[in-house]
This record gives sequence, structure tokens and C-alpha cells, in this order.
Amino acid sequence: MSSKGSSLIEAKKLCKSYFNEGLETPVLFDIDLTINSGEFVAIMGPSGSGKSTLMHILGFLDHFTSGSYLFHDEPVLRMNDDDLAKIRATRVSFVFQAFNLLPRTSVLENVLLPLLYHPTIAASERMDRAMKAIATVGLTDRAKYLSNQLSGGQKQRVAIARALVTEPEVIFADEPTGNLDSVSGRQVMEAVQQLHEHGHTIILVTHERTTAEHAERIIHIRDGRIQEDTKSFKRRLAKEASTLAK
Amino acid sequence: MLPEDLIGVSVQGLKRNISRSLLTTLGIIIGVGSVVLMVSIGASFQQYILDQVSQFGQNTFEIQAKGLEQQGQPTQAITFGDVEAVRKLSTVQSVAPVIFVTERVAYGEEELTPFVFATTKELFDNWGFQPQLGRLFTDADIQSASNVAVLGGLAVDELFPNEDPIGKRITIGARKFTVVGVLEELGSPLAQTLDSSVYMPLSVGKSMMGSSLYVDYISLKSRGSNDLTKADLESLFRQRHSIVNPENDPEKDDVVVRSMEQAVSVISSVTLGMTIFLGLIAGISLLVGGIGIMNIMLVSVSERTKEIGLRKAVGAKKQDILLQFLLEAITLTVIGGLIGVLCGAGLAYLLYLIARQFLQDLPFALSMSAILLSVSMAAGTGLAFGIYPARKAANLSPMEALRWE
Repeated sequence: MSSKGSSLIEAKKLCKSYFNEGLETPVLFDIDLTINSGEFVAIMGPSGSGKSTLMHILGFLDHFTSGSYLFHDEPVLRMNDDDLAKIRATRVSFVFQAFNLLPRTSVLENVLLPLLYHPTIAASERMDRAMKAIATVGLTDRAKYLSNQLSGGQKQRVAIARALVTEPEVIFADEPTGNLDSVSGRQVMEAVQQLHEHGHTIILVTHERTTAEHAERIIHIRDGRIQEDTKSFKRRLAKEASTLAK
Repeated sequence: MLPEDLIGVSVQGLKRNISRSLLTTLGIIIGVGSVVLMVSIGASFQQYILDQVSQFGQNTFEIQAKGLEQQGQPTQAITFGDVEAVRKLSTVQSVAPVIFVTERVAYGEEELTPFVFATTKELFDNWGFQPQLGRLFTDADIQSASNVAVLGGLAVDELFPNEDPIGKRITIGARKFTVVGVLEELGSPLAQTLDSSVYMPLSVGKSMMGSSLYVDYISLKSRGSNDLTKADLESLFRQRHSIVNPENDPEKDDVVVRSMEQAVSVISSVTLGMTIFLGLIAGISLLVGGIGIMNIMLVSVSERTKEIGLRKAVGAKKQDILLQFLLEAITLTVIGGLIGVLCGAGLAYLLYLIARQFLQDLPFALSMSAILLSVSMAAGTGLAFGIYPARKAANLSPMEALRWE
């Protein structure tokens, strides 16, 4: 992981449009955004605001239409498909709202999946890493269970284990609690919080205020534009409390 | 991605959809099975026919007058002088002239119209006949023009169903003959005519056919190279019959000189042609099986689009996805091909066991080249028909694939 506080993501005038049968549908407009290593950022906004699209672009899952995007000061535009795949394999990972686990496949196999595509982690290390990641989310006793034998909360914890097994710099989480009840949602967010405490940069997309409050910084996005970029209220309170205590 | 991981991922993909995988291979199993079965049947019969022909000896020659060859009628093309000239050739080992005696053969109430060969004892040598009962006729029988007859193994069953034929008197035309021997059956369907025939000394046949100066047929064995013997014989007959044929045009000759080796090669090429034809027809089902694979692989790509998206999201390159789907298709076809080989070979063996009830000497032949070819064709089919779905999967962008409904 790179040193905390250095510039990780730098987007300037980033735009994204979808094209369907010659018809252009603009989704993002002139996004200027800098995220430093080790930050916990929540991107908040109503449905259709473009927050997920922004996350997919920042996470190398989708292309932007214009503007510039530097990742560790390297222009993403100059990267080819294999370079992008390598970044996805080694430096970033994802937690999706719909979990996206492989069906009829065990928890362990799901967590092992990213390691198959990792260029530097040796095959002999995989099992240890996967079991460690499963233990981190508290599912050691479920390692051999098939993914469809798990509850929603457990599935999302498997997805988190899968996301952290390669020890990426950035974890992108797209509505990770969206399909979960409040108890499971809280457990998942605690796991995400822990990842951040271990030094991972977290970029979380959500439309729930309570979920976003786990972040240090909240970026509000509406109609494809950044409206507000603030420190989280809870974090501010915590910071002020600690200053007062000192 | 490591090669062993790629194999693991592909096998896992197939195992997750085991019933669909098995159904997909069915087309290949049937295709490869048919090729192996058809080629095996063809190869068995080819081997069988060649074995039958070869039992006459690869160095055996026959010379026929063209009239006999073309119309089934005796002609006056080969003289006894020709026979003596043939006998003197250094490339010829043993010569048996034959006159076909067109007479009925009778014993008591039983009557036959077999081929009656008036010949010399060399014919039995040339064709590998052994006496089953009694003896063959000798030079003395020929010199003294004894009215003795040797019966083919099948002719004896017809004339003497319940009696010992040795010493019995049979009638050929108007003459009485003493049966001195019975030949062991050659047994093959190709030699059925010879097994049903009756044999008498050449001198007797000659006198029965009005002291004929001509022979209908010569059987001989060559000494040394068959090609040299053939060339010697052709040149001898052209010289003796005053035929100018420097261009070696068989149309101009009045006799046909044919080696058994030549017959074997003609039969061999005909049966090989049949085998290839059968194999090609069966190959069509292999092609249909391949299209089935492509169809299923396309369905599989559609069904697993989210999985492809996920794999890409966790770092899979285009090439990883392409190879995964290609390997799945090839694995399916190779497994199908191997099962097809087993099924085809099993079925061919079953048919062989049934056919042996009728053709005892039928060999069981499995063509290794057909097996290798059909399995490679199956793998090739998997590769060819797997490329399109695999490319389709590999070219999906991660988000496009993840959003797929």
C-alpha cells in the first residue's frame, strides 16, 4: 500500500455519456475529484445521480468519455486492457450490492477467485491468504458452505473477504448494505470500517446517510455533478471530541 | 493466469453444469462413435477380403484370354505352345494350364453343373489346395489320361451327402470317372466357386473338348519380382501373337496378365475408398455435434455473463476468459471424443461378434488412424466452434457483463 495521504486518484473534468443507437445520454459532467491514499470516502446521492457510474470509472470497470483520470499520477487513458486488468487484479477490489458470488461454489473457492488472476501471489500462498480473509469476516466455520447456503449478510461478508484477499490499496463498495437487513448491514459496515483501520482506502457508494456516516468524507452527487464534498458529521464530532479531550 | 489454474477453472465450469456438459458431448460422442464404428467395419471387411485374396499367394498370376475375361466365353487365344513358352521363362516357377469342360456332373440321382477344371497338379500347389480325403492326381494320371476326378469340398457335399466318395464312379458328360480325392475347403466366400468345382487331368479334358489346341486360363507362380514376371509374360504373348504394343496399352493385348498382388491392390483401394466414404458420412455427424457445442457454449456465455464480469472485475484478462471458454469447449469435445471412441469400438466389436457367426475368418480391425483422426477432429471442432462464443465472452467489458440481466 502506498503512503497515507499521498494522491491516489485525481480526476479532472471527467465526463461520461452512454450511447445507444446514436443517442447520447450524459451521466457525469466535469467531475473534479482528488482522493488520497488511506481515505474513507462515501459517494452519496439519489438513485440515477451517477454515483455508481463514477465508482465504476474510478475502479477501472468502465471507461470515461472525456476528461482526465490519474491513478498514482499515471494517466488511465494511456493504459490498455491488460494494464487495467492488472490494476483490478492487484490494486483495487470491489464489493457489490448484489454480492456477485459464483453460484454453486464454496465460500473458499469464491474467496480464492481473485488469487487465480493475481500475477505475483504464489499458488502455495493462496490457501493461507483465503482462510485468513475468511477468518477476518468471521466465516471460518462456513468456508466449505456453498454460496447459496448463506444468508445475505454472510454472502456480503464473503464478498468482503474476496475483496481483501489480495490486500488491495483501494476497496470500492457499491451499496454494500443495500440488500441487507439492519443487523447484517451494521456487521458489514463494521467489517468495512476495520478494513479502513488496516490502511485500505475505501470508496463507498451509498444513498443511505447512516451508511455514509461511517466515512471520513462524503461527496454528494446529484444529476451527474458533485454538489458537496464535506467531512462526515460523525467524524467531525469524533475529531472535535478528541481535541477537547486533549 | 497459470495453466493449471486455467484447466482447474474450466473443469470447475463444466462440473457446475454437469448435466448440460454431458448433453453437449452427446453430439460428439455420436459423431466420433460413428466414425470409429464405420471405419472399423470398413477396415474389418477390407482386411477380411485381403486375407481371402492373399491366401492364393501374393506371387500367383493368372493369364486369361480376353474373350473369357470380357464375355465369359472361351476363346482361342492361348495355345499349348504358349503354355510351353511360359513354362520356359526364367521368372516363372510353376505353370498350370486350365481347360474349362462344360459338362454336367452326376452321381446316381444327384446332378450338378459345376465348373470342371481340366488341369495339372500344379494348380493345387498354386492355390494352396490340400487333399481332405484320398489323393490329388499325379503326372502319371495326366500322362495316361486316367478318368480320375478330384472334388472340391463343397461339390462333395452335394454329390455325396451321406457316402464316402473315394472310389465311387461319377459321370462327367458321357464319361465315367473314379473319385480319387476330395479337397479341403478353402472356406472363404471368394473361393466358393473353387470349392464347388470338380477337377480332372488336363489330358482327359483336352480329349473331351475335341483335342483342343487351346487353353482357357493359365495359373502360375512367379519366381522373384512380380513386376519382372508380368513384363516377361506380356512381352512373350505380344511376341508370340504378333502384337505390336510398345506403349503398353492393355487394350491392344489379346490376353490379360494379372497378379494376385495387383488384385489385392485393386480390392484394397476399392475397400479403402468405401471406408473413407463411410468415414466421411459419419464425419458429418461430428460436424453437427460441433455445431451443438457452439450452440451450448453460446448459451453458456449468455448464462454466465455475470460470472465473466466478475472474473474481469477481479483481474481476469481478455486472454484468460478466451482461454477458459475455449478450454471448456475443447475439454467437452475431447471427453466426448474419448467416450465416442469407446462406444464406437464397443459397438464395432459387438457387430463383429454377430458377423462372425456368418464369416468365421472375419478379423476385428480398429483403425488407430481413424481413432486419432476423429478425436483430433473432435478437438478441432471444439476449437473451431468454441472460438466464437469464447471471443464473445472475452470481449465483454466488465461493467457490461456485470449489468447483464
